[in-house]
This record gives sequence, structure tokens and C-alpha cells, in this order.
Amino acid sequence: MNNKNTLVDFFTRLGINTNTFFAFLGGLSRLSTQTLYFAFTPPFKKERVFEQAKKAGFDSLPIVSMVALFIGFIFALQTAYFMQRMGSEIYIASLVALSLVRELGPVITALVVAGRVGAAITAELGSMQVTEQIDALETLATNPIKYLVVPRFLALTLMLPLLTLYADAVGIFGSWAICTQKLGISSSLYINVTREAVKYKDVFTGLIKTVFFGMIISLVSCYEGFNVEGGAEGVGRATTRSVVLSFIMIIAADCFFTALFYFIFP
Amino acid sequence: MIFGKTKNELKVGVFVFFGLVILIVAILSIGEVKTWTAGYEVNVVFNFVNGVKVGAPVRVAGVDVGEVKQINFIASQDIDTPTKVEVVCWVKRPAKIPVDSTIWVNTLGLLGEKYIEIMPGKDYAHILEPRQSLVGVDPLPMHEVVRLAKAIADNLNESITRIKNKEGTVGKLLYDDKVYQDLEAFMEDIRKNPWKLLYRAKEK
Repeated sequence: MNNKNTLVDFFTRLGINTNTFFAFLGGLSRLSTQTLYFAFTPPFKKERVFEQAKKAGFDSLPIVSMVALFIGFIFALQTAYFMQRMGSEIYIASLVALSLVRELGPVITALVVAGRVGAAITAELGSMQVTEQIDALETLATNPIKYLVVPRFLALTLMLPLLTLYADAVGIFGSWAICTQKLGISSSLYINVTREAVKYKDVFTGLIKTVFFGMIISLVSCYEGFNVEGGAEGVGRATTRSVVLSFIMIIAADCFFTALFYFIFP
Repeated sequence: MIFGKTKNELKVGVFVFFGLVILIVAILSIGEVKTWTAGYEVNVVFNFVNGVKVGAPVRVAGVDVGEVKQINFIASQDIDTPTKVEVVCWVKRPAKIPVDSTIWVNTLGLLGEKYIEIMPGKDYAHILEPRQSLVGVDPLPMHEVVRLAKAIADNLNESITRIKNKEGTVGKLLYDDKVYQDLEAFMEDIRKNPWKLLYRAKEK
């Protein structure tokens, strides 16, 4: 009897989880279509986009540059460990530059921004939802998506590629600092090898990814913010969920794009 | 504004999920498209393949045209024939391999990847048909190369030792200064008596 109950419970929970997953995907699709629609229909509100762009882009610069700098240091040292055994320290430059530009720069930036900006968006919209400000907006004939989601969506989609470019540069600078100061590689050699290794294609494949990462972060955070239930505790839960979901979806999208660029546009 | 609670959204979610799954499967399988291009398989028989792996490139006249699909052993039927290795090579359709081509295992760089090199012959009237076999030229095993090098080095060493021990013509030329002294004496003599250069002994 007891066994039967646990079995039933298991399948009930499985069904509910599957249901929740598909409903999440459907809700996210609905939110994204509405956001895209309102993003390209007038009236356009520049000021709100700029305000969000300042919050998401400019205010993230210190933390992104710090993280990128440390990643540059670490990557140079970790690569040096093996490259020195092989006696090919020159290739540290190209290896670091390529992996930063193609992979680490976009993903690290997206993760940092998801943790910093995405969580803030969810908390902000969540507390608005809890205090029924979003419903109030609707009664004032203001579309909450047009007013709240679109500026954040546009800001993150535009700012993340720029932040990534910045992070790439800072990371390469960090690795350059380690290589020239600690590993005894001459500065001009390092710069030449880097310039030889990195093609425009590498930079662009990195940047195209980040556009989609920005969309993921903004849409998931807004979705979780809108869906908050149950007061302050619900806001906390939603914020956690939003960051976790953003992280998972960023990594999954990254895997997808890497496969896409590897197999279809090599 | 609540999302993800209606039945329609559930349906859209299922639709989007399977759409994404199909997209991902399509992208991952498109990597195989290259091998769907028209091609054919030929077999090359070696005694020794020196570490050719499945997936190693096949080159006709230095152009990458295919890859190694399979490597099989051909067990010997009787006592006299040794076990042979059959390498199944997949080659793109436009690449034609005449029957008199030379096939061998080559190395990229000094210790690099092994690949199958096909130097096409001249007899384009007889082209290798799909599934036909050709006997390849065996690569030289590394230990053979080492043995040969050692034999050469031994010979060289012996010669050098003999030269050092002032044996033989070269040894004497290097270490015996008799020739030098003779030459010097000759030069001195000529300087003193240059007329000797023009002097001709009277014929008798």
C-alpha cells in the first residue's frame, strides 16, 4: 500500500514537473514574442533604454573587468604550466586570445551580468508584482511589457556584446601582463602572435552568442519577476530561480552556438 | 501579468521544446553531411600500416579526398602467406585512382599523423572500381630505419677510427706531414731556380 503510494507520488511529481517545464517554455515564448513585437513598434522610449543600458552596461564595467583580468592571469599561468613542458610558450598568447575571444569572454561576461543585472531585474519586477504596481500600470493603460521589459531587453541585448568586447580586451591584457612580466615573453612577440591568431571571424562568433545571452538574461529575469507569488519570500525564490535558470540556459545556448559554428559555419 | 499558467502556453511550450530538439539534432547531424557526398570505397592491402587510424586522411596526388573508414585483418589461409591488413578507404567520386597507382603510408611532419598517400599512375583506362583492392607499398618500420641508421653509423665510425689511427691514404694525408714538407721543399727550390720550370731535359 505504502509502496503504491510512493509510486503514484513519483509519477504525479514527474507529471507536474514536466507540465511546469513546458508551461515555462511556453510562457517564455509568449513573453519573447510580445517583447519583440513591442520593441519594434512605436512609440519608442529612448530614455528608459539608456537608463537601463547605464545600469546593465556601465555599472557592470568594474566587476566585468576585474573578473576578466583575473581570468586572463589564471589562464596564462595554467596554460604556461603545460606549454613550458612542451617548450612552446609562444603559443600561450594565441591559445589565451582564442579561448578568451571565442568562449570565455562571452560566457564569463554573460554569467557575471546574469548574476548582477538579471537578479536585480527579477527582484525589482518581483517586488513591483508583489505590491501590485504592475497591475496598477495596466489600469493606467500602460503596457507593462512595453514599459518594463522592452527597455531592459534592448539594453541587455545591446550592452552584453560591448561588455564582452571589453572583457576580451581586459583578459588579453591580463594574460599579456603575466606573460611579459613573469614568463619572460617579449611584449612585441606576444602582440604579434595574438594578432596572427585572432581573426575577425573569432571575434564575431563570440559577439553573436552574447546577443542571444543578453536576450536570455533579460527575458528569463523579467519572466521570473512577473511570475512572483507569495510576498517577500516569493521575490527571494524568484531571484534564485532566475539566476539559476539564466546560468543553465546560457551554458546550453553556448553549447548550441558552439556546435552551430563548428559544424555549419566553420 | 502572469506568464506560464494557461493551457495555450503549455501547448506552445511543448511545440517550442520539440522544435528546439529537432533543431539541435539537425545541427549535430549536419556535421556528417560531408560524408554523404558521393564517394566510393576502395581497399588497400598492406603487410604493415605503421599506426594508421580509422579517420586518417586519404590523399590523391597530395589532395585530401577522403578518409580511412575501416581497418580489417586478413587472416592468412596457409602457412606461407603472412597476415595482411586491409585498409578500407572512402574516396570522393571525382577522384579517380588508376590501377597502376602507388599507395603508401605517409607521415605528416616527422612524427605526425599517419595518412594514406596515393600517387596516381598513368593508366586512366583502368580505374579502380568501388570495393576493388590494390596492394600498397609497406612503410618502413621504425626499427628497420633505426637498424639501417645504425649500420651506416657503424661503417662511418670504422672509417673515422682508421683515419684517426693514421691508417690508409686519407689518414696519412691528414696526419703525416711528409707530403707537406715535400711540397714546401719543392716550392723553395722553384723560387730559387725558376728556370727549372722552363727547363726541358734533352731527349736522348
